[in-house]
Formats: sequence, structure tokens, C-alpha cells
Amino acid sequence: METFINPKSLFHLLLLPCLLLYSSIAYNSSPVEAAMHTNNWAVLVCTSRFWFNYRHMANTLSLYRTVKRLGIPDERIILMLADDMACNTRNKYPAQVFNNENHRLNLYGDNVEVDYRGYEVTVENFLRVLTGRHETAVPRSKRLLSDEGSHILLYMTGHGGDEFLKFQDSEELQSHDLADAVKQMKEKHRFKELLIMVDTCQAATLFNQSPGVLAIGSSMKGENSYSHHLDSDVGVSVVDRFTYYTLAFFERLNIYDNASLSSLFSSYNPSLLMSTAYYRKDLYKRRLEEVPVTNFFGSVMETIHTDAAYKALSRRNSGRFEDEMSLDQSVHHIKRRMLIKVNDGDEIHDINPELLQGEEGASKCPWSTFRKKFQKAENVDSLLNYGLVAMIPLLVISTWLVQ
Amino acid sequence: MAETKEKSLSDEKPKPRVRPIVRLGIFLISHSFHVSVVCCTAGVLALFLLPVLAKNTYISENALMPGSASPMLSNQHVSDGNRLVKDLTNPNSKSSETGIESHKIIAQYMLDLGAEVSFHKFHPQMNQFHPLHFFSSPDSGKIQENYSCSSYGINTVGIIRAPHGDGKEAIVLVTPYNALKSGFGEALSLGIAYSVFSLLTQVTWLAKDIIWLVADSQYGEYAAVAAWLREYQTPKFSSLSTPNAEMCPDVNNLFELKGHSISGSKFSNSFRRAGTMASALVLKVRDQNEQFEDTISIYAEASNGQMPNLDLINVVNYLAVHRQGLRVNVEKLWSLLNSSWLKSLGEIFESLAKVAKSLYPKWKFGIPATEYVEGTATLASSLYYQALGVPTGPHGAFRDYQVDAITLEISPKFSLDKVWRNDILLRGGRLIEGVIRSVNNLLEKFHQSFFLYLLTSPSKFVSVGVYMIAFALLIAPLPMVAASLYVDANSSSNCSKGDSSTPSAITDTDEHSIAIRSWRWLNSAKLVFIVHLWGAIVSLLPYFISQIPDCSPTTSFMIWVLLSILSLLTLNSVLASPLACAKATQEKEWALVKSVTISSVFIGLGLMSVINFATAEIGALLMVPMCLLAQPLKLDVRAGTLRSFCRMICNLVLGHIAFPPAAFFLLKGMLDGFGNANVGDFWMWVESLWAWNSATYLFIVEVTYIFSHG
Repeated sequence: METFINPKSLFHLLLLPCLLLYSSIAYNSSPVEAAMHTNNWAVLVCTSRFWFNYRHMANTLSLYRTVKRLGIPDERIILMLADDMACNTRNKYPAQVFNNENHRLNLYGDNVEVDYRGYEVTVENFLRVLTGRHETAVPRSKRLLSDEGSHILLYMTGHGGDEFLKFQDSEELQSHDLADAVKQMKEKHRFKELLIMVDTCQAATLFNQSPGVLAIGSSMKGENSYSHHLDSDVGVSVVDRFTYYTLAFFERLNIYDNASLSSLFSSYNPSLLMSTAYYRKDLYKRRLEEVPVTNFFGSVMETIHTDAAYKALSRRNSGRFEDEMSLDQSVHHIKRRMLIKVNDGDEIHDINPELLQGEEGASKCPWSTFRKKFQKAENVDSLLNYGLVAMIPLLVISTWLVQ
Repeated sequence: MAETKEKSLSDEKPKPRVRPIVRLGIFLISHSFHVSVVCCTAGVLALFLLPVLAKNTYISENALMPGSASPMLSNQHVSDGNRLVKDLTNPNSKSSETGIESHKIIAQYMLDLGAEVSFHKFHPQMNQFHPLHFFSSPDSGKIQENYSCSSYGINTVGIIRAPHGDGKEAIVLVTPYNALKSGFGEALSLGIAYSVFSLLTQVTWLAKDIIWLVADSQYGEYAAVAAWLREYQTPKFSSLSTPNAEMCPDVNNLFELKGHSISGSKFSNSFRRAGTMASALVLKVRDQNEQFEDTISIYAEASNGQMPNLDLINVVNYLAVHRQGLRVNVEKLWSLLNSSWLKSLGEIFESLAKVAKSLYPKWKFGIPATEYVEGTATLASSLYYQALGVPTGPHGAFRDYQVDAITLEISPKFSLDKVWRNDILLRGGRLIEGVIRSVNNLLEKFHQSFFLYLLTSPSKFVSVGVYMIAFALLIAPLPMVAASLYVDANSSSNCSKGDSSTPSAITDTDEHSIAIRSWRWLNSAKLVFIVHLWGAIVSLLPYFISQIPDCSPTTSFMIWVLLSILSLLTLNSVLASPLACAKATQEKEWALVKSVTISSVFIGLGLMSVINFATAEIGALLMVPMCLLAQPLKLDVRAGTLRSFCRMICNLVLGHIAFPPAAFFLLKGMLDGFGNANVGDFWMWVESLWAWNSATYLFIVEVTYIFSHG
């Protein structure tokens, strides 16, 4: 009988400290706070077919090259190209795509991974990618596997109109479809922040209804977006104005630059664009001056320095840790803003202050957390908790000895 | 339709409330005279307004992108072309009697470029009149008859395969060339085509195959192209035609020689094909030119008034004007250019537009008087050639297979300077290159722009929606007049019967008589039908007459006239005798006959406007006044008033003018002077019309019926 009861009591005794530990940790982490920015994704879509829409493919490939250069790896880029200009028979330079008439840069080099091509680029597939509702056979490389910590860049180019974007010359994506997809993504925790960038005619109408995202379009309602220049050698226009000036902005940057989104958005000159770039930030929480462009167009993560090679943190712990981090960050942001004010034209090159900040606060394994808590010891409740926890092994041992 | 409408009207009369549309109909019918005068005037006026209403052309198809690529034709290619011109104009090459030598030269040049080359031997086909083939597609499966070996032509065909293309489509470049008596112009056109061809063998951007057809024009340009197209579009799977070729040693000789001299396998004796034709360009260079600048003339009209897609003309016009600095011409009726009445009309329109603009600044429709005159002359020629239905060049053969094609005739300011020749080779070549590159960009057939249009200048056009208004106004009075005539005829007979019969008998006989009277128009319909039948017989007669061997045009025309009269008399005695008996009633019934005739003319014109607008328009101009004015001469003579006398004169004049031979002579007289007019000419003219299976021919016959009514 005793042997029967004893394991059970033992189990109870073992469960107790775990519960106590849990409660002590849960007490400290706030459940409201959003996840940390953990990864970057890009969905780049060219929606038009046909040779005379060469520039749309060139736009998309240029953006692809830029985000890759700024650090988003290929497996986190979903590239959708509705037609293959490189291998079009009319292409004077077979298997090459250029976005400038000087032909210095071939955008269609060896390392371009096109995820959806040709007739695969449909409204249905596009919405499936965004919402993550795929058929089981779709490979992982074709899925947007983002999570609640992802920053996503969604770039679309093609022919559009008032509240629609034409796909493939046969169907169209309407603004409320897009808004619905974004809402679903939000519900499914598929992103932390989302930047929608659209280069079409009347692009601004496309995010009339998109919730909770930052959006920028090449033209207002009733305006056209124009191509930048014609390549008389290839015989087509090779790039659109909005994309051209976006790329011009990014060509000056590298992965360490801290140029903010507002500096990107204010770089568009309506007289050069021949349309008014419109951005919508009312649904976006952070101040644009504080958000570096690499938050969307690159993949610059906060590097977390740890003592051990493998940190054995549970998910919850990291969440709590981030809580503190965000506090630190906010302090840092103030610092940085002041810096920006000092030399506002030039972007600051301080090598990731977050890293330093992180190092300070990140020397954390479970033991050090404990120690710290003990050191602080201000909270009587937590002291009591820890005391109880310390009692448990004693209790267990004594029970075992008595038997 | 008018009759049924009328019946419903008479049924509804007792009802107090009449629907507005019916009331409007009654109003129009009762005032048919004024309505018809207004409508006809408006119709003619609208026709003259068309040059003012013309819109600027624009390139409708996005994919074309003319001029977006810079031309790649360099001086190297030009000197290649120059070499060919020199070789062809060299007197040695002309020594051969059949002109085979020059074909060999051309083939050799093509082979040197790496193109696939083949010869296409054809026998010129005599144009034959097939009365029942008006609307069928061009006859493809023609039985090969025994031709003599002496009369055949040789087309040289070179094909470049698109390096990355799928070989499903092709662009055709045609240069007519008569090896026996070629002028310098023809050699030059070959030079231009060759320089473009040599460029196209090197480029990587071809999506469509390029076919260069050197059409042997010794039996006519059209015949050569048509023969090649027939062969191209209808592959023969049996080897029946080969023995035919073997029988002629000369041709075999040619083929064998080629086979020996050329080591490569690119030359083939069999007929070579590429993909579906996207479009075709016929290139010509005129020998003599009195103009002071380099101009290029566009000929677009194909058989039966069909036009190529407007985009093709737009592309050529755009490239010629904005890239190569050539002046573009479309055909004009030159005689109209100097007419003073047209000038004054243009001035009136101009001043009217000024007044309108001063009233409301947004109204801008005026064009200068000189521009108006030119626009009208171009429009008139456009109408004339569409109405005639005879293609204006070898491009017509392509249209029969739904391929958009035009003829470009370059007329350079002439000098024998070598620099000048290089210049024209360069600019002509670049123009052709640009057009080919633009068409090469095309993803589908030409379909975006208009097929139904009239040109008023190379960059201005009148679309179908506008010019149909003029036509609709012109024929609108016909149904109204027919209805009013029918009502009159019915009511007048009603009155006379009402007077004679006693009131008691009315109820009994009325229903019966109404039933008879409502079917009385059948009598007149029968008469009209008989006349139409006669017209059909007359129109079929020339087919049999043409079977008579060794007949001069004048005698065959005489035979035709005699036979026509004979057939009329026969028909009259056999079929029309019952009508002759009831001569007393016939006089009263002329109105009914006229009404039926007008209805049939209305239907005929409506149908014709669908088939060939220009023919219908010109026909309506002639026939509508005649139909509206027609009245038996006897009645006019009896009435004796001034008005009826005028009407009689009008009828006689109109009747004679509209009679086809008379109309022909008048036109010819106006254009050439009356001195050299001849009956035989008419025969020749008609003969040329059958040859093209022209719808005009049908139409002329229709005019004939009307005349016989007068």
C-alpha cells in the first residue's frame, strides 16, 4: 500500500515547485506585450504578362536584388513573376533582364529563385500565400512561413486602377480582398509589422481599407504611374519611376545604415515621379522617423549575446526578456533621435547600439535570473515564493529519509 | 416590315389612346414628303461633313510600341543591298530570256545569308467569272489544268527562322519583280528588302519567322502573290503536281543547277512554309517621280472594300513621319483637289466652325478649307476604291486569307547619285525594319483598332460609327415613303368602294374585301420579283458570253444587250401577261408597286451596307432620289402642271444617269473627256469587276431593276 501511495505523493511534491516556479515567472512577464521582431520576409509580386510590360518584371527583380543585398535570405523571399521576360523570344539579350539602359546590371543572374512564375501568379495563389492557407502539396519554399515576430515587405507592381490591381490580364485583386487578407494575417499572428508598397496607376486606392499596416503607393487616386525611361536597344521601357527612385534611395545604403522610413518616404519628388507618392501611416503605431528602412527592406536582427553556446530558455522566458529589452530600447531610441537631430542629413553609423544595450542586459541564463531576483529582493511575495521553493528539496529529502 | 407596322396601325385606330411611338410613326408617315426631303439633305450634308468629323489616328494596340527600339540597320547592310542592286542591274544578268539568271542571283544572295530558299513555280491563272462564288472564300482547290511549259512564273522565297521563336507565326515581305523588264525601281526595292533581310538574319529578337517573297510580276503582281498564297495556305499532300514540273525541262534545269552549285542543305525544291502570317508588307519603289521630297504611298484597299487593321497603317505612318522623315500619302482623287465648289464648301464649314467657337470656346471642330478639300479628295478615293471592290495592289491577295497587308510605294526624289541611293536604301530599310520589329512585338492578331474606316488623310480617319450616320439618314425615308404609299393606296381604294356600295352591304362584304385588299400587295410583289428575276438573268448572261471564243469587247457587249432585251420580252410575254390584262387597275396600283419596290431597295441597301459600306453609300446616293421621285410618265404627262413636268424631267435624267452604262460613261467623260469613250470599255470594266468577284457587280444589277420600273 505504501509503495502504491508513495510515488503519487512524490509526484505531487515534484509538481509543486514547478507550479511555484511558473507562477513566479508568469507574474513578472506581461502577457499584453507583442512578440519581438525576429525575422524579415518579403513578398514581391509582378502581376503583368506580355513583353511590353517588361518593366514590371524589372521592377520586381530590382527590389528582389535590393532586399537580398540588405540581408533577407532567399528562403524568406516569395518572388512571384507573372511572365518570363528573360526568355521571351523578343528579348535582344536572351536570359538577361536589365533595369537601366546602361545594361550594367543583369538582374536575372544565377541566383534568382522565382517561387511563383507564369500562370501560377494568380489572385488565388497570392491570397493563399498571404493567409497561409495552402494545399498540403505546396512545398515550404512557396509558403510565407512568417510568425508573430515577422516584419513583412509586400511589394506589388503591375497595371492597376481605382481599387484594383490587374493580375495576368485576366483577373484582378481588389482592395477589399487585400484588406481581408491582411486582416486574416493579423488574426493568425502572421506578422508583427507589414509594409505594403505598390507601384501601379492609382496605387493609393488599393489600401483604402487595409487595417493595421504601413502602406505606400506610387500615385494618388486619378493619377497614373509612369515608366522612367525607354531602353531603345531592348525596345521597351525598363523601369517605372517610383521603383527607380526607390532603388536610387537604396543603392546608397548598406546593411548597417540606419536611414529611417520617413527619409525614404520623403525622398519621393512628385515632379520627378510625375505622380504623388502617397503613404498611409495612421494605422501604424511607431513613428516613422524611428523605424530604420532595414526593418522591412533588410533583415537586421538584434543579436543577443549569451554566455552559453546553447541557451536553454523556454519560450516564455524569452518573452519576458524582451519586455525588458523594449524598455531599454525606448531609452535608446530617445538617444538616437537626439543623434539624428544633431546630424540629420547623414545617417548615423553607430554599430548597433542595441547590441551594446543587449549585451548589458543579456548576460542571462536561468541561474543569473535567480540571482538577480534575489539581489533585488524588494518584493516580499517573490521572496516568499523563492523561500518556499528552497524548502521543497528539503521536504522531499526528509520524506524519503523517513521512509 | 413597313406593311406589318401599317396594319397594326390601322387596327389600333379606333382606340382612343395610342402609344407615343405609334403616334410618332403615324406622324412621320403622314409627313413622309417633308421627312424624306429633310433626311436626304441631311444625309448628303453628313457625307460632306465627314472630313470635318474625322478623328486623328492613334495606335490602339499596346504591344506594338513602334519606334521604341532604335533601328539597327547600318551602312554595312545598306552596302549589302547596294551590291544586290548592282548585280541585278548589270546587263549580263538580263541576257537570259526567261529571267532565270536574276532569280538565281537573288536566291544565291539569300543563301549566303543563311536563309532557307526555295523556288515556287506557278502558272498564271486566268481570271474567271464565277457567278456563284461571290461570298465564298477564294477558291483553293482548283484543278490543275494543262498549262503550257512556256508560261510560268517563278517566285523566289527566302525564309528566316526566328532563333528563339516557336515558328508558329510569320511576317511576310513581298517585293514584286519582273526579271524580264525590270526598272531601276524594282531593283532598288529588292535592295531595300535585301538589306533588311540581311539584318534580320543576325538579330536575336525575332519572335516570328520572316518570309521574303520575290514575286515574279511578269503575269501581274497580284497573280504571282495570289498563286504563292494559294499554295501556302492549301498544302497538297499528294505528289500530283511534281510530274507537271518535270514536264518542263527549263524549270528542272533551274532547280538542278541550284542543287549543284550550292553545297548547303538550305535550298530545297519543295515548297517551304513558316507559321501563320501575322501581317504582310508589299514594298515597291516607283521609277519616276516628279515630287521634290521622298514620299511613301500607302495602298490599303483589298477586295470588296475590306481594309487592313488601322493599326498597321498607323505604325507605318508613325515610323515614316516621325522616325524616317518621309512624307506619307494615301490615294486621292486628284480631280477633286482643284474643284472650286469644294473649296467654297470648305470655307463655309470653316467660317461656321469659327462662329461656333466664338459662341462656345470648347467647340473645336473646324479644319482649314485646304485641309478640307484634301480630306474630301482622299475620302472620295477611299470610298471609290472600297466601292469598286478591286484591290489596289498585291496586298489584296493577303486580305482574302484574313492577313493584314498593305502596299508601300516609295517614290524618292530622283537622282542617280550614289549618296542618294544609299540614303533611300537606309531610310526605306529602317522603315521596314521598324515596322517588322513592331509587328514582331505583337502577341495576337491585329484586332485592337478599326477594320471599318475611311481615311481622310494618313493620320485621320472616319470610323464606322460616324459614317453610318450619313448612310442611315439617306435611307431612312425609304420605309416611311413605302408605308405612306401603302396607306394611300389602301385608303383611296377604300373610299371608292365605300361610295359605290350600299350601306347595307358594307358589313357583309367588308371583311372579305379587307382580306383581299390586305393581300393585294402580293400582286405588285410578284411584278417586282419578275423584274428582279430578269435582272438576275441579265447579270448571269456575261458568264455565257465570255465562253464564246474570239470576241471583241464591243461585239460581246452588243450580244449582251441583245440577249437582255430578248429575255425581257420573253419574260414579259410568259410571266407578265396576267398583269398586262389588268391594265386598267395597274394604273391605280402603281403606288403599291412603288411601295414594294422601295421596301425591297431598302432591304437590299441595308444588307449591302453590311457587306460593303462604300458600295451601299454610293448606291444609296443614286437610288434613293430615284426611288422617291419615280412616277409613271403617263400620269405626269396627263397632269400637265409645271411641277409634274419638272418631276418627269428629273425622273428621266436620274433614270439615265443611274443606268450603269450611262453612269460609267458620265464618270469616264468627266475624268478623261468624252472623246475616247467606247462601249467596249464598259465591257472591259465589267469584266474586270467579275474578275474580282465584286459585290459591286451584284449592285449594278440591282440598279438595273429600278431602272426598268421607271
